[in-house]
Amino acid sequence: MTSATSVIAAPAGRLGLNRRRLATVGAPTGAVVLALLLGAGLIVAAGGDPLSAYSALLDGAFGNPLAFGEVLAQATPLVIIGLGLALAFRGGVWNIGAEGQLFVGALTGGAVAVELPVSSGPVLIAAALVGGIIGGAVWGLIVGVLRARWGVNEVITSLLLTYIGILLFQWAVRQPLRDPAATNGLSGQAMPHAALLPDLPGVSVHIGVLFALVLVPVVAWLMGRTPFGFRLRMLGLNADAAQTAGVPAGRMAIRLMVISGGLAGLAGIVQTLGVSDRLDPNLSVGTGFTAIVVALIGRCNAIGVLLAGLLVATLQAGGQAMSVTESLPYSIVLAIEGVFVVFLLIADRLARR
Amino acid sequence: MPDAPLVAMHGIEKRFGPVQALSGVDLDLHAGEIHALLGENGAGKTTLMNILYGLHQPDAGTIAIGGREQALRNPQDAIAAGIGMVHQHFMLVPTLTVAENMVLGERGAPMLRRGELRAVERRLVELGERYGLEVDPRARVWQLSVGEQQRVEILRALFRDARILILDEPTATLTPVETERLFPKLQGLARGGAAVVFITHHLDDVLRWADRITVLRHGEPAGSPTPSETSAEQLARLMVGRDVTLMRVAAGRRSLGEDGGGRRDAAPVLEVHGLCADGDRGTPALEDVAFCVRGGEIVAVAGVEGNGQAELEEVLMGLRRPGAGTIALDGQDITGADPRERLRRGLGLVPSDRYRRGVIRELSVADNLVLDRIDRPPYGTLLRVDRRAIRERARGLVERYSIRVGDPGQPAATLSGGNAQRVVLARMLTGELRCLIAAQPTRGLDVGAIEFVWEQLAAAREAGMAILLISTELDEVMSMADRCCVLYRGRVVATWERDQLDRERVGLAMGGSGPEPMVATAPEGA
Repeated sequence: MTSATSVIAAPAGRLGLNRRRLATVGAPTGAVVLALLLGAGLIVAAGGDPLSAYSALLDGAFGNPLAFGEVLAQATPLVIIGLGLALAFRGGVWNIGAEGQLFVGALTGGAVAVELPVSSGPVLIAAALVGGIIGGAVWGLIVGVLRARWGVNEVITSLLLTYIGILLFQWAVRQPLRDPAATNGLSGQAMPHAALLPDLPGVSVHIGVLFALVLVPVVAWLMGRTPFGFRLRMLGLNADAAQTAGVPAGRMAIRLMVISGGLAGLAGIVQTLGVSDRLDPNLSVGTGFTAIVVALIGRCNAIGVLLAGLLVATLQAGGQAMSVTESLPYSIVLAIEGVFVVFLLIADRLARR
Repeated sequence: MPDAPLVAMHGIEKRFGPVQALSGVDLDLHAGEIHALLGENGAGKTTLMNILYGLHQPDAGTIAIGGREQALRNPQDAIAAGIGMVHQHFMLVPTLTVAENMVLGERGAPMLRRGELRAVERRLVELGERYGLEVDPRARVWQLSVGEQQRVEILRALFRDARILILDEPTATLTPVETERLFPKLQGLARGGAAVVFITHHLDDVLRWADRITVLRHGEPAGSPTPSETSAEQLARLMVGRDVTLMRVAAGRRSLGEDGGGRRDAAPVLEVHGLCADGDRGTPALEDVAFCVRGGEIVAVAGVEGNGQAELEEVLMGLRRPGAGTIALDGQDITGADPRERLRRGLGLVPSDRYRRGVIRELSVADNLVLDRIDRPPYGTLLRVDRRAIRERARGLVERYSIRVGDPGQPAATLSGGNAQRVVLARMLTGELRCLIAAQPTRGLDVGAIEFVWEQLAAAREAGMAILLISTELDEVMSMADRCCVLYRGRVVATWERDQLDRERVGLAMGGSGPEPMVATAPEGA
């Protein structure tokens, strides 16, 4: 931590620049450098060559359109969920159950896609997306109402509802929405062809990435330019003063849970229609939890979430490629990712001083 | 003073970031004297004393204790040099006994044997008897009244052989009666050879009890008048740097009160009946409270802190649910309404804890001026916040309420207490209110800011607003109230109209000795 401070402080003094601005840029940069160094140590410990490993990582993330498409595809759910969580966290509502909201959204949206007797692709997709958003939003609504009515801690309820949501999904793909052709029990029905998200021309990535890109300015505007955003910031900064000034804390908590749950549900159905193409129990391995980290690294700010989502997705997608080409264990990739997150969060604290 | 000073602080300088907290301050403390350190909020009184207690290091200047120059790097050094400090907010562990609190933090305290603790208790009894500071050493601190807890704090300093005793705002949380008891004890300590220094902004206490006075203004020495040759007016002038017209505000009010101004006929605006509520610990905090505030009058709820005022303020604003009773505004029941609904109907609150409920430190001053109306035109519509309208309002209000801030875009955290209160008042008084609850509106404010708050409240009253003034300050109650009731242990124990208002009787009622004989209440203190 001391070295991180000196990395930031030294140039600030010499150049006499705006210290605050320099800290906001310098602190994360210093954190990335330190994380890369510590990651190199981990790679050496695992018997690899850090330089070639890092170049394999970059190559695996940006080496060709296919690889970059993978980065974008992995960033998409992180950014969509991260934006919702950024709103909730700013408002002092700690929704950590996005993973469950994602699964419920995938389930309800997937059920709509399978059951709705419509053949038009756009209509079917739109209906499925709405179904997914509603599913996630309802899962969030439960948490919001519990908090608003009886003051039940949303951290606990949202986390526990995650397990219920995942198990509900697993039950559904075994029973009512089971793939009739599958031999083992854990595979849900395939999505009808018309419901699958088409790829963007040029890159091998589904159009879901556009949803994420459109949502970034929408959330930025909501947070920064509307009375709603002003009030949620009031609540997050000082809930007592906000309530005294007439901000309805309970209703705001419900709204924030519905929005963040709905966006997690959207991410779930986007993954289902764009990546797994069926109701897949392995739809997400902790995406909803990683999105919490994305929201925090992104300082609960829309642009920040976009950048953080891209960074994490780069590490994930590039890391997968690295572990294959350099024959390093995948756990090294996860460890490096963890190191990045820790250093970035430390840098965030330092920059805020 | 013939003898050498016990403490000689010379040329003390201290800077916090861009703020010069102290510059060129000298302070001598002599054995046998009570020294008052007087100044507005932010004048540097507490900073100076924190330096003496080793909590801050001075940027320049020297401190000599008993004629020898010393570096006080931390409170341990200060304690070793014979300095004891009683902070404004007591540093006691409520669940431990008095004796246990004495040895807390000392090496080996957790392993203290029973016999050793008994020795501590014996010494406490002995110290208590010598200085008239009797406290049961085995009582648990939470069972003690505020006055007794303060006695424990003083005992702790004496227990550590302090010869120099610092008290930070010692009378802020005491009843008038407890205050009357405290100072003779401090005089006893001084006569025993100690140097006592107390921080205050109560001019009366200074004039009555201090042997010497040092006034600070904006971190600089503003004068050291002799108590017998000075007056409250002169002290106020030294503190503020200009003439203060507190007395004029009070006098103006008095004559208006006698005129009546037709307010007797005004319909009740705020009516409270049979109000009961629990405190944070689930124990009853308000019992069967009833009163009524008419338009154009100020009704004061006097009382010592901790007798239900905080709960009253919260229940009235809808921030705490009452257990029983009704609240009506303009004849309409609002008992179940949320704060938003109450604000909409014209009930506003100047909260007692202005940093917890009044302003949001991280937001700008301009934003803080629209906290309650951000969704109302011209400041905001459903989908858009109008930054320019907010800025314009801020410019106007900063001027009208003389909020001292460089730029309304600065965060509210940079405001002093008085200016933060101006922001809260500006927001409330521009809100078309029918009734304003002003809870401890001048707490911690300097004379200049108090004057401003009183003027604003008086003006709002003239404009026909109903004002409920919840206050611990007898002066405030006496000069502002058209009617006054006293809240003691959650009950309204007495009510007086302005013409029957008697300073002494109000003070006694605040301490629990009401006009009527009280039922089964133990006498306060020992």
